[in-house]
Amino acid sequence: MANCIEVKNLTKDYKGIKAVDDLSIEVREGEILGLLGPNGSGKTTTINCILSLLKFHTGHITIFGKEMRPDLYEVKREIGVVFQDVAVFEELTVYENIDYFCGLYITDKEKRKNCIEKALELVGLEEYKKYYPKQLSGGLLRRLNIACGVAHQPKIIFLDEPTVAVDPQSRNRILEGIKTLRKEGATIIYTTHYMEEVEILCDRIIILDKGKVLASGTTDELKKLARIEEKISVEMDTLKEKNLKEIESLNNVLDCYYDDKLLVVSFLKGKNNLMAILEYLNEHKLKYEKIYSERPTLNDVFLELTGKELRD
Amino acid sequence: MFFHNFNYTLKTLFKNKILIFWTYAFPIILGLLFYFAFSDIEKGETFKVIPIGIVENQAFLENTLYKETFQVLGEEGSKTQLFSIRYEDEETCQSLTKKKEIVGYLNLENEARLVISENGIDETTFKFVIEEIEEKKALFNHLIEMNQDSIRNDASFVAQIYENVMANQVSSIQDDSKSHLSYTMIEYYTLIAMACLYGGIVGMYAINQKLANMSSNGKRVSVAPIQKIKLIGSSALASYVALLIGVLLLFLFTVFVLHVDYGDSIFYVLLLILFGSLAGLAFGLFISVLLKKNENTKIGIIIASTMFCSVLSGMMGITMKYVIDKNVPILNKINPANMITDGFYALYYYDTPERFFMNLISLILFSLVLFLISIVILRGEKYDSI
Repeated sequence: MANCIEVKNLTKDYKGIKAVDDLSIEVREGEILGLLGPNGSGKTTTINCILSLLKFHTGHITIFGKEMRPDLYEVKREIGVVFQDVAVFEELTVYENIDYFCGLYITDKEKRKNCIEKALELVGLEEYKKYYPKQLSGGLLRRLNIACGVAHQPKIIFLDEPTVAVDPQSRNRILEGIKTLRKEGATIIYTTHYMEEVEILCDRIIILDKGKVLASGTTDELKKLARIEEKISVEMDTLKEKNLKEIESLNNVLDCYYDDKLLVVSFLKGKNNLMAILEYLNEHKLKYEKIYSERPTLNDVFLELTGKELRD
Repeated sequence: MFFHNFNYTLKTLFKNKILIFWTYAFPIILGLLFYFAFSDIEKGETFKVIPIGIVENQAFLENTLYKETFQVLGEEGSKTQLFSIRYEDEETCQSLTKKKEIVGYLNLENEARLVISENGIDETTFKFVIEEIEEKKALFNHLIEMNQDSIRNDASFVAQIYENVMANQVSSIQDDSKSHLSYTMIEYYTLIAMACLYGGIVGMYAINQKLANMSSNGKRVSVAPIQKIKLIGSSALASYVALLIGVLLLFLFTVFVLHVDYGDSIFYVLLLILFGSLAGLAFGLFISVLLKKNENTKIGIIIASTMFCSVLSGMMGITMKYVIDKNVPILNKINPANMITDGFYALYYYDTPERFFMNLISLILFSLVLFLISIVILRGEKYDSI
């Protein structure tokens, strides 16, 4: 796959603080690229620089091989953006809002009408065409926000935290919509701090913190960066300090703690970890309610790379 | 793209209740309040002709200048009537003055002698008219002296000089008498000025929606493949149209409902409304691009500064306008509300258009300066922060 966006050595300061620090990324045509990082990690600033909304100090940004500029209209025509803040006109209906933003890209009325209908279908707002934004719930409003950004059927779509504060139903609809857009050939740059979404959606993930790339790769590739292979959680009413120390000394155990009636044991790479825990519990006749095993999450990767949680 | 953005901007403006209230409804409500508050004052202050006496002696009958002037100013029912004149002998005039049936009388025996019972506006007006006639008389005599040669060759030249002097005489007296018709008109003129400047809110709102550093909508619009000049231009034009409709509605309301008199030249009145609205738009654009504040703060600033300018130009009483004109004239020279108000005032009170055009040119300059500053600020395509 060819690169449709290339960012090289991008640096952007805000009053002496580096919001983006010598950042280099590539976006491949047709992929969903996830930009993952906590609030303030530089995700939105990077997007605004790519879109030529923000001045930056050093670096180069090319889209479809052309150095990006505010007046590079042939390239801008192929870009759709869904910003984190809902950007719609309160005075216009759902249909009019989509028509207005789509009309900035497509002048042909008939073509535009088809695009609007398709966008309404994509986000499931067909029944709300004549509604005003004020009449929509938070989730429906987010969907309208997406429809306004993608109705003109762009080749590259930037989605900046499109699911913030939405209900599960709307979230599923939005995620389905994004998958559909990709199927239709769009390249998607998806920023979020919800790691579950990134894992479900993205072909490739770039983890950002303090304006720098910490790691990049597929979900599996990133998870390999974590030293832990498996995390086993056991719900139990009591656990003595002596038992905790003995569990900690089991094979492959990296770390373990007992808090709020939950024992969490992290294992380094190795096999039969669950069996080892079960055997210990039975041997010492320790009662437990539930026991389950998890693969390391991207949050574990982030925790290991930065020493802090993604949502800190 | 231009018309697409123009149409939708117009639509959003007409559907925005806050904008509609401040630019359309509020000036009309205020106009109605003025109407109810001032109608009684107007009734009490309606101009009455001044009763005077003239001693009808040989000196008066032979003095054509005085005779014709008072004939014009005393003609009953005419537009130029300033006095109700009683032609009597001196004794009767004295008696009428004592009884206060007349404010005073004029006796031309030997020289023009004015006798008045007390000092007041009516007496001052009478005195002013006499002084005016005396000035013209002096001018007439001076012209005769200067043109002795021409008069020797052509005796009709004296008549020509006389006609010229008289023509100016009647015209200048007519102008002054007109000013008594309604001084509360200025309140309504400031109302139009206020509505024009409130248009700044319309302009500010429309432009804010198109700037990436001002609104979410602005960010989305800024990534679209459309030239900034087209975007801002079409939005500004839509704002101007919306504003103009509002001001014209207010104008029609003041004419047909409140019976405000704007003078005789509708063309000049419309010209002033056009450029007054343009100044309002320029003001809104300027505030919009200059201040990095939220929309409500900007609306507050526009409302407060508009009200301040309107009050200085006479909205809460014409005295304020006179005080500023006398003590800090520069303030009213740069006050757009005063430029509009004074423009209407000039159209209504003066027959010559010089003062009107001075105000019109000031308004155009004011708008140009604000537009230029705004364009310079807007030229940047990227922002340091958004």
